[in-house]
Amino acid sequence: MTIVAGMDIGSTTAKCVVLEGQRVLGKSLSPVGVDIVKDAERALEAALADSGIARSEVSFITGTGYGRYKVYFGQLVVTEISCHARGAHFLFPGTRVVVDIGGQDTKAIRVNEKGEVVDFSMNDKCAAGTGRFLEVCANALGFDIGEIGALSLQAKRPMRVTSTCTVFAESEVASYVSRGKDPKDILAGLHASIANRTLSLMQRVGIEPEVTFTGGVSQNGGMVRALNRRLGASVNVSPLSQYMGALGAALHGQERQAGGAS
Amino acid sequence: VAGLSPPLTAAAPAPAFLGDARSLQKQMLESYYARLAGTGEKRPPVAYMLVGGNLTEIVRSFGYDVVFPEIVALNCAIKHQSLENILHAESMGYGLDVCGYVKNDLGLQDLGGRTSFGQIPRPDLLVCSFSGCFVYVKWWEALAESYGAPLFMFDVPYMREPTVRKEDIDYLVSQLWEFIHLLEKKTGQAFDMAALQRVLAESRRAEEGWVEYLRAGRLRPSPIEAYFEAIFYMFPINVLRGTPEASEFYRVVNEEVRARVRDGIYPLPEETFRVLVEGVPPYTNYRTFWDFFRKWGAVSVVATYPKVGGLFDRGFLHDPSRPLESIAEYSLGAYVNQSWPLRRQIISDYIQEYSADAAIIHGIKSCRSFTAGQGDLRDWLIHDKGVPTLYIESDHQDPRYFAPAQIKNRMDAFFESLEQRRAVSAQKVPA
Repeated sequence: MTIVAGMDIGSTTAKCVVLEGQRVLGKSLSPVGVDIVKDAERALEAALADSGIARSEVSFITGTGYGRYKVYFGQLVVTEISCHARGAHFLFPGTRVVVDIGGQDTKAIRVNEKGEVVDFSMNDKCAAGTGRFLEVCANALGFDIGEIGALSLQAKRPMRVTSTCTVFAESEVASYVSRGKDPKDILAGLHASIANRTLSLMQRVGIEPEVTFTGGVSQNGGMVRALNRRLGASVNVSPLSQYMGALGAALHGQERQAGGAS
Repeated sequence: VAGLSPPLTAAAPAPAFLGDARSLQKQMLESYYARLAGTGEKRPPVAYMLVGGNLTEIVRSFGYDVVFPEIVALNCAIKHQSLENILHAESMGYGLDVCGYVKNDLGLQDLGGRTSFGQIPRPDLLVCSFSGCFVYVKWWEALAESYGAPLFMFDVPYMREPTVRKEDIDYLVSQLWEFIHLLEKKTGQAFDMAALQRVLAESRRAEEGWVEYLRAGRLRPSPIEAYFEAIFYMFPINVLRGTPEASEFYRVVNEEVRARVRDGIYPLPEETFRVLVEGVPPYTNYRTFWDFFRKWGAVSVVATYPKVGGLFDRGFLHDPSRPLESIAEYSLGAYVNQSWPLRRQIISDYIQEYSADAAIIHGIKSCRSFTAGQGDLRDWLIHDKGVPTLYIESDHQDPRYFAPAQIKNRMDAFFESLEQRRAVSAQKVPA
């Protein structure tokens, strides 16, 4: 069985998944800096090391994400919208809506029973409602991005964060802090604010079960709960959710190799 | 890297299908601005007007030349000269969310009216011919205050139903007489109905030629690019309508289109997708935006924007035998003067008549009268009409709102999904 790799070079991180048939052999996640070509190469090497295979064993590489054209060593580029759809459908075949919250983009993607994109809607050209929004606000509160989800789950009286602009939200957070509000309550308010914006994106494409949550922010338990509350239903989340774009890229590569439409 | 989504940086071949008509349009544009700058024969008086519902024929019958500040602004934008004017207008106090046309024009005027394509003359008369946008009304008031030129406000009722009401025509004709009396007083000339009828007959000839060109988009493959190419050819129908050179221009265009069909010359070697385009183009990044279509083999076969100066392809043509009534009907029929149910119907008809596979809507941040409602249009086309539709947004004047990577990403994803659906339907074996 042939081995393929999918590479998702996003605005914040590079993800790589190595796939053989339906089995994920290995994966990698690393930050993206100024030299995207080198970052992509490193991400591939790390995923190969995780898989325990040599580069020569990989027969096809697909790039996705904003840095997809920097995957010079690949054979195919596909947008991350198609890739998240395909990856989510692979892990959760009942998926009809994919919500991807990444570093700078939030997307709602409606898919059909084959995992093909039917419609999609994305945040406008600002970072409100994205991972960057959470990161900026986490920094304003003196927390690491990785710990704010769990902290938000401990909130007792969530605050209302009304600013939709990342910069203004940071000021709003600072104002709550100066008024002595509990950071956990502020964090819960920030998560609820993103859930509201995400819901309105989902409504544009039509909400239909099952909903699968992907992208880096899907690893944030506070965000999962905020979305579930807003939806009134549980979203699908997997340990591979952050790798969904790379997984979808690998699946597109498999199809292209097999001579399909991808 | 091969790919579903072609790279942003790959240079697309030049649009070689454009022939003599495009060269002629450039020459006409240059000589028009040269005439306005007074470098040729003595310059006639100038009336500033808005494209929608304009009263070109009436002022022309009094010997006026017409300046459309919207068109001057778009010429600045396509030549990458709009930002300087916009920033200057913002320094004068105009806010970030004020229309880009308005800021580009007011900034340009305040900077002395000098452009790379000529000196824009001061107005002798201001005619606010489209009152559907309140910002436009204020724009014309600002110009009147700045130049001290007489201002005529033409109040055109909004079209909420497809049939034109007699009361509306009467209301507009009474205003047209007021306008004519103002022109008589200002020029000292008596109104000459026969002169107006001659201008209208010339307008009609140009309109017939323009419609013939636009309808060529119905052919498969389409020999025309009904958005990116047609936008060049809007110049004669809007700016020079009523002159013999405008009607002659469309004769040349249609001859070229017939030759294209005969010789197999098309906008793209392969017409993969036939697209309807709705909305004002991002003039500041015109070629980049066009390339996003071309790389996917997408040809716009029909578009709404080239109709902002008149929905001539929907049955209306100026009628010299009913001069003022005909001008009133024209003004009512401006594309942006139509209610959203009417605009939706036009778009839906176009999709059928031109066999479009999909629709792309380009919204602009600075114009709510054109753009508000486009989100609902997108939903209606997808859910009620089953037409794959993409909505993207930037601006027609302000380059700060054009984010190429984001726009390309959305367009790539859209065309990928169209390609996937097409491949799947081709794989289906009939029972």
